[in-house]
Amino acid sequence: MKTETMTSGKESVGSTTAKLGGLADEIAVKRKRSRMMSGAFSIFLLALVLWSVDVTVIKDTDWERIGSLENVLEATNRFIGIDFELFSNLFVPALETLLIACLGTFFGLILCIPAAWFGAMNITPYKPVTYPLARLMMTLSRSIHEIVWALFFVAVVGLGAMAGVMAIAVRSVGFIAKMTAEAIEDIDYRPVEAIRAVGGSPFQVIYYAILPQVLPQIVSVVVFEWEINIRRSAILGLVGAGGLGLVFFRQMNTYNYHGVTTVILAILIIILLGEAVSYFVRRRLI
Amino acid sequence: MDKSSMAIENPASRRKWRRFKYPDSLYGYGAWLIAFTVIVFSIEYLNIPLDRLLGMLGRMGDILAARYYPPDIEYIMDQDYFGYVVETIQMAYLGALFGLLITIPVAWFASYNMTPSRLFVYPIARMFGMSCRAVHETIWAILFVSILGFGMLPGVLALTLFSTGFAAKLFAEEIESIDMGPVEAMRATGANLFQVMVFGVWPQVRVAFTGIAIYTWDVAFRAATVVGFFGAGGMGWYLKRNVLQIETERVAAIIISIIVLVIISEAISAWARQVVMKMK
Repeated sequence: MKTETMTSGKESVGSTTAKLGGLADEIAVKRKRSRMMSGAFSIFLLALVLWSVDVTVIKDTDWERIGSLENVLEATNRFIGIDFELFSNLFVPALETLLIACLGTFFGLILCIPAAWFGAMNITPYKPVTYPLARLMMTLSRSIHEIVWALFFVAVVGLGAMAGVMAIAVRSVGFIAKMTAEAIEDIDYRPVEAIRAVGGSPFQVIYYAILPQVLPQIVSVVVFEWEINIRRSAILGLVGAGGLGLVFFRQMNTYNYHGVTTVILAILIIILLGEAVSYFVRRRLI
Repeated sequence: MDKSSMAIENPASRRKWRRFKYPDSLYGYGAWLIAFTVIVFSIEYLNIPLDRLLGMLGRMGDILAARYYPPDIEYIMDQDYFGYVVETIQMAYLGALFGLLITIPVAWFASYNMTPSRLFVYPIARMFGMSCRAVHETIWAILFVSILGFGMLPGVLALTLFSTGFAAKLFAEEIESIDMGPVEAMRATGANLFQVMVFGVWPQVRVAFTGIAIYTWDVAFRAATVVGFFGAGGMGWYLKRNVLQIETERVAAIIISIIVLVIISEAISAWARQVVMKMK
C-alpha cells in the first residue's frame, strides 16, 4: 500500500484512499462470508453430532439392561483381579504372538518389495499399468481390517498360526509399501544418474543408488510396523489364528473375568517390550 | 584402475572402502544375525510349511473363485444394510469426536514441555494414552459389550478409547515440537497454565490438530467396520452373521462394500487435509 501511494503522487491521494476503502470493504465482506461459512459449518457439525448421539446412544441403547450406575460398576468390578493360576499357561501363547508378529512382518516385507517398486512413481517399470496395480495392492491391504483378513485366511489354510502370519503379512504390505514408495520418490537423483551414466543395469541402479538411500527409513518403518503387528497378532486368536487372542477368547467364554484381565495385562507387557525395542532401534537409526 | 594405483603409491587407497568401520559394522552384522535367527526360529516353532506356501496361492484363487465369487451385490443393496452403514459412520464419527475431546487434556499432560507436573501428571497421562493404544479396539469392544450389553454405545466407547490412544500420541508429539518463545513470553508476563495453553500453544498446533482430527476420523471408520463383529453394532454385526451362516458370497459383497467405503473415506480425508494445509 505504501509504495502505491508514493508512486501515484500527491494528486491521487484521494483516489488511493478510496481504493483502500474499497479494499477494506472487500476484505470485510470476505471475512464476513468466511465467518458465516464456518458458522454454518459448525452448526451443521453440531446438528450431525446431536443426531448421531440421539440415534446411537439414546435410542439404540438398551438402558434397562444396563440398569443403574451401580450395576455398571458391579459389572466392571468383576474384571478387577488377577488369576494367578493362568500364568503358567500364558508363556507359550505369548511367545507365539510375538513370533507371529515377527514372521508376519517378515513376509509382509517380502510382499512389499514388488508393491514398493511398482508404486514409486519414479522407478515403476511401466507407469500406466504397474503404478495403479501397486496402489490397488496397498489400498486393499490397508482398507481391510486384520480380523477380516484373518477370517479369510482361516478359511483358506485352516486354524492355527499360519493363518495369523498370512493375515498380518498381507495387512502390513500397505503401510510399509506406501512409506517405502514415498521414500523412494524423495531420493536424491544424482547417484541414480551416476550409476546409469557408467552403464549400470536397472537392478544395479536399485541396489547401489536407491537402496542405500532408503534403507534407514525402511528399517524404521518395518520396526514401527512390527510394533503395531504385535498388537494385531494379540487379537487374531479371536477368530482362530493362534496366540494370546485364543486364550482371551477362552477366558471370556468361560466367564473367567480375572483371567481376562490377566491376559490383557500379558498383552500390555508384550507391547511395552515391543515399544521399548522399537524405540531404541529407531533412535539408533535416526 | 591399475595405472592410477601404480602412479600413487598409497596403501590406504588400495584398501576396500566401507561405509561402516569396525565397531559399527559389528553391530550391523549382529542385528542381521539376530533378525535371521528370530525368523528361522519362528518358522520352526510355528510349523510354517514353507514348501506349501507357493501352492497356497493357487488354493487361495480356487477358494475365491469357488466360494466367494460372484459376490451377492443385491444383498447389500437393500435398505437395511444401508441403515447399518449409516450406523457405522455415526459410530466412527462419535467415537472420533469423543476421543479427540479426551485427547486434548491427555496430550497436554503427556507432552514433556507443557505438562503441569513432570513427576505425577506426565507419567499418568503417558500411561493412559499408551494403554488406550496398546489394547486393540476389538478387545475394548468385547469388554464394553460384556459390561453394557449389545448395541452401539459400547462400539462408540471402544472407538473413543481407540481414537484417544491414536490421536494423543500424535498430538503430544506436535505439542512437544512447538516454538517455546511465545510460551516463555506469556509465562514471563504472569499468565497461568490455562492461559499459556490457550494463547501460547493452541495457535501453534491448531492446524496440526485439525489434520490429526481428520486422520483420526478416517482410522476410526476403518476400525468401526469391525467392532460390530463382537456385538457392538454397525456393519460388523452383519458381517459376523453372514460369516457364521457361511454365506460366503454375501460376505464377499460386504467386504467389497467395506473396501469401497474405506476408499471413499480415505479420499475425503485426503481432500480435507489438503484444504486444511492450504489454510495454514
